[in-house]
Amino acid sequence: MQSESRIDPKIIEEVLKFSKNVIDAPKLISAPDEINLEVTPHKVVQEIDKTRLLHYTPLVETKYKTPLLISYALINRYHILDIHPQKSWVKNLLEQGFDVYMLDWGTPTSMDKYLDFDDYVNGYLDNSVEYIKNQTSVEKISLQGYCTGATIATAYTALHPENVKNYVATAPVIDGWKDTTVISNLAKHMDADKMVDIIGNMPPEFMYYCFSVLKPFEQGIEKYIKFFKNIDDKKYVDNFLRVEKWLGDTPPIPGELFKQWIKDIYQKNLLIQNKMHVGDELINLKKIDMPMFTQVAVGDHLVSPECSMPLHYAVGSKDKILKIYPTGHVGMIASSLSQKKVLPEMGTWLSERS
Amino acid sequence: MSSKPQALTSIGPMRAFAANSKKISVELIEINEKLFEFNKYMTEYYKQLSSVWGIAQKKVNQKVPEIPQDVEQIEAVKRIWIDIFDNDFTELFDSEKFGDNYGNLVSKELELTKHWNNITNVILQSVNLPSKEEIDEVYKEIHSLKKRVSKLELELKKEKRKNAK
Repeated sequence: MQSESRIDPKIIEEVLKFSKNVIDAPKLISAPDEINLEVTPHKVVQEIDKTRLLHYTPLVETKYKTPLLISYALINRYHILDIHPQKSWVKNLLEQGFDVYMLDWGTPTSMDKYLDFDDYVNGYLDNSVEYIKNQTSVEKISLQGYCTGATIATAYTALHPENVKNYVATAPVIDGWKDTTVISNLAKHMDADKMVDIIGNMPPEFMYYCFSVLKPFEQGIEKYIKFFKNIDDKKYVDNFLRVEKWLGDTPPIPGELFKQWIKDIYQKNLLIQNKMHVGDELINLKKIDMPMFTQVAVGDHLVSPECSMPLHYAVGSKDKILKIYPTGHVGMIASSLSQKKVLPEMGTWLSERS
Repeated sequence: MSSKPQALTSIGPMRAFAANSKKISVELIEINEKLFEFNKYMTEYYKQLSSVWGIAQKKVNQKVPEIPQDVEQIEAVKRIWIDIFDNDFTELFDSEKFGDNYGNLVSKELELTKHWNNITNVILQSVNLPSKEEIDEVYKEIHSLKKRVSKLELELKKEKRKNAK
């Protein structure tokens, strides 16, 4: 008896539709340079070397006296915090009545290979804080750090507590030994001295490799299948392309900063042990004594919650709160959850202290 | 006694290049040796990837013994395939053996780059251009000066602000 194999006609239909979508894609989608990632109006109020301090134009009357400065991460660009009008972190805060500034670290070149933690913490960040204090006539500002930008902000807050009224740490990289991500495994086996000595700055290509080993099949295959399936959905495509453009634009990391990062945070884990030096100064997390809000995402595969949460317990603040959100690293700052839950909670917390 | 033509060649680029050609040969020999080590780690890298691929595929085959017959089944199989492959590969990337081999692979690649830099430096010096090390020294000096100026400026700003109160 001969067995008969039958193919569901729906399968053929799906395959044909998918192929058509792939062929039609170039006609339907914008080229990356046609997508503008700077959504919310702002002015560049200070430029030092390659860094820029952005001041966002208020959308409603500013309700709170204390301005907020955001210290974005060193990987990719600050645009993710303002990626889409409906998912913009910055726009949401402006609509809540906050006066918002953002520090754009810029794109370092070979000449910047000697920039280190000291330059970022006591140079660029301190200069930005001083500028804001001067312009707004306040003694202290609110500071928010995201990802690696939160590590810089944490170091700053510990060294200059007199300038920070409230501190928000969003997915901060703090305890390298507790980090359970693939990134930390690669970092622990890296010869950072040799890398910086030979190639100078950490090239974006190396970071793209690191990203590619994070959920490689979900991110490398499934994501694109979904994209081609939804090619007719303008909203989905627009959002997808914005995030893709953002993902494909990461500046190099200055060599000395990268070296200190890998060695002090991931390999020797000095920050959480209060043994890390920035310039000549020792960072003592107990000196962070102002109100502090720590935000972590349970599904964060770039900075695991185990790596971020120790900050909450290490600081000297009495008024402190730790929130764990059911999302991922990017989902915490640029998603409907961030708009509906993360930002309103942060806004309420800040408003009571601003 | 040197003649005029000899004096001319003693300052020309070809003489400088000839004087340093031995350095280039040494670098090329060392590149060859490093390439051997690089290939060893590269082979191990792909061996680890293909081994995990094989194991993951076996797991998928065990979980999905039948060929999917409709769209829903294909979707379900795809989900299983992605979950198993992501889990197994993440386990590999997170392992000591992968981290160790990958670290060595990158290290050997950097050493190859170092030799290439050395060859380029010989060529640069033969045409009286600064080497990478010399440029790095300039960058370091500029960085140090900028840092000092920036700190002084910031202190001045803070002082002015204090006095204005």
